Amino acid sequence: MHDPKHPPLPAALDRRDFLRRGSIASMAVMVGGVELHAAPAPRHGTAYRRKLGDERVACGIIGYGEWGREIAATLDRIENARVEAICDTFPLMLQRAAGSFTDVTLYDDYRQLLDNAAITAVFIATPTHLHRDVVTEALAAGKHVYCEVPLAHTLADTRAIAEAAQAATDSIFQCGLPYRSNPQHRNIFQFIRSGAIGSASAARAQWNRKNSWRRASATTARERELNWRLDHALSTGLMGEIGLHQIDVAGWIVRAAPVAVVGSGQVMHWRDGRRIADTVQAIFEFDGGLHFTYNATLANSFDGEYDAFYGNDGTVVVRDSKAWLFKEVDAPLLGWEVYARKDRFYREEGVALVADATKLAAQGIDPAADDPNVETPLFYALEEFVDNNLNGPFPPAAGIIEGHNATVVALKANEAVVRNARVEYDPSWFLTAD
Amino acid sequence: MNKMASVRLACHAMATRFELLVAGSDEAQLRGAGEEAVAMIQRLEAQLSFYRATSDVGRLNARAAYGAVAVEPALFRLLQRAHELHAATAGMFDITVGPLMRCWRFVRDTGSVPAPAELADARRRVGMRHVELDAMECTVRFARDGVELDLGGIAKGYALDRAAVVLRDAGVEHALLHGGTSSILAFGTSHDEQPWKVAVEQPRTHGATQPLAVVALHNRALSVSAVWGKAFSSNGKVYGHVMDPTMGRPVKRAGLAAAVSDSATDADAVATALLALGAARAGSCLAQLPGTFGLIVTDDDIDKGRVSFSHGIDLVPARTGLHSIAKAYNHA
Repeated sequence: MHDPKHPPLPAALDRRDFLRRGSIASMAVMVGGVELHAAPAPRHGTAYRRKLGDERVACGIIGYGEWGREIAATLDRIENARVEAICDTFPLMLQRAAGSFTDVTLYDDYRQLLDNAAITAVFIATPTHLHRDVVTEALAAGKHVYCEVPLAHTLADTRAIAEAAQAATDSIFQCGLPYRSNPQHRNIFQFIRSGAIGSASAARAQWNRKNSWRRASATTARERELNWRLDHALSTGLMGEIGLHQIDVAGWIVRAAPVAVVGSGQVMHWRDGRRIADTVQAIFEFDGGLHFTYNATLANSFDGEYDAFYGNDGTVVVRDSKAWLFKEVDAPLLGWEVYARKDRFYREEGVALVADATKLAAQGIDPAADDPNVETPLFYALEEFVDNNLNGPFPPAAGIIEGHNATVVALKANEAVVRNARVEYDPSWFLTAD
Repeated sequence: MNKMASVRLACHAMATRFELLVAGSDEAQLRGAGEEAVAMIQRLEAQLSFYRATSDVGRLNARAAYGAVAVEPALFRLLQRAHELHAATAGMFDITVGPLMRCWRFVRDTGSVPAPAELADARRRVGMRHVELDAMECTVRFARDGVELDLGGIAKGYALDRAAVVLRDAGVEHALLHGGTSSILAFGTSHDEQPWKVAVEQPRTHGATQPLAVVALHNRALSVSAVWGKAFSSNGKVYGHVMDPTMGRPVKRAGLAAAVSDSATDADAVATALLALGAARAGSCLAQLPGTFGLIVTDDDIDKGRVSFSHGIDLVPARTGLHSIAKAYNHA
């Protein structure tokens, strides 16, 4: 009997269908914007699925706000995970938890959840400035820990968490950098590193939303707690709470931490007394002269979120779970791109790469269409953590070193924004694998 | 309560525009609450979309014929409710109607009469009997292949219901929400301390200056469905896009239907079903749904400006006091 979380996929494919899709597949890997449909995402439900009987990881979630709920809902779709405990200090959140899960134990104190010996893995999604105590106590309790980033709102707390994680050699620690576990990103980066865009000339990313970032509650005290992102003493700003993920992606592909950052920030729209900038800019300098520009705003939603990597032969744009290659007219022919799907972006043409198209066709999936098996980056990250719990330990794609260093980069970028200044990164701030 | 402030928010979702008007005393608090409600609507679009292969509904349609698929408890409860509404409406509200819509070329197309064999095949794949809900395991399974779920008939209303819960949880006491002006939910009161008033427009303009009806909404929802907006002619016959799932063809002589209920989900389903049921069978349907009211204007009565059937909805047009965004008129 199959597991209902991952029922088998349609297997039947007649010969004509196979040939038709096969020809699409062989063409797809060849052509202006080429969609880098990247990764052969793991095909859950078929060969990828492991048979582990009824073994499931007992999960506890600490912090059931918006992201905690997202984690819980995602875990609910993961084969070997079971949400057994949820903790939040606000009764309304626990009510919501009770409405979404059956047979879940609710706590209003995370220490009680940590005392529950049946819970082996905890997912920490509290406000950033509360991470330190929760993480260190969870590790001390022998739990495996998945902690959201930024790990903390100060360098000192970040370092303390890192030391605790490194000392807890019997616990798996994974931080919430889901792009690191995302097959799409991995495939795209392999593609870039293979030289498809030539030598790197620049990188740029943006995150645009129209949103006040303010949270509301029926009670004043709760509202104050909820709005920690707008509290100058606690917030890591747009650079920390949002930019960190895209900044980390840039550093990941460059395989280095930046050497300096120049930042600035303004309150351009939400003039409600806040001091936290609703619009920020930063330029990160890397060894070798490469510059990465980052913009984020809460004042305008145009063009949303994307990352762009520029080279002398082309540009790769990553957006959602897709990517496109925009070739320079004088770039050498790669071969596969000739027949790939192309999407128009005003006067530009992006080549949409559908990697592993033959396998998609074999599963009855049109390589040019959205793949129903593609999951969110969060799904892949949590699945990796759960898998590590059951079958590890193995080094997580986003372990304590990655989480610590990404947090340091972002906290200092926020400092540059707040001070409207240039900040040089001291190499001693970063952890290395040695 | 001192309602000095009001905030208006909007988003595009489910192929239409949602708008929220929230009122209270603290503008910043209202905006924060409204943004959370908007996020809920957008999250539900990502979950319920028939057109996104990566949505929960897309995954169900791709996999549930091959085995039971676990779904989020809230989505499971929605599917259960859809099942109940299907029964209460004599099968006229049916979330499995997709194959028929596709066969009549109403999906991303302009519509045409299908060949008999094609129609027969589509009809075999339609019906809630093909959808097996396992409440113990929270799973969904299709009893045969070719079945598709399309929650488009209740998704807007459901999104409004969920958004309203978010607003109330955040302390908002007064709000009017709509999706595409055809699904509307209101709680609390409007600026004049009166229930929110929503006009149901005359089905066709023809110089009509007065609304067909005015509905005072206090902790209630209104949904309006109409057949025009998407229709085609063939051999002198006009076929609208509202389907009678039991007959496998577009509803005849339907015009406009409206439903009022505590639940916007129910109102959406019932308004659609009333169009198919017609005036003669509407009463028995509403009798099974206490607290739900409706009206119907058949195609024959449209030009006469006559309401064909009404149960519990105020038909006296109000000349004043309508809220600016409260204009209920749309197609199903």
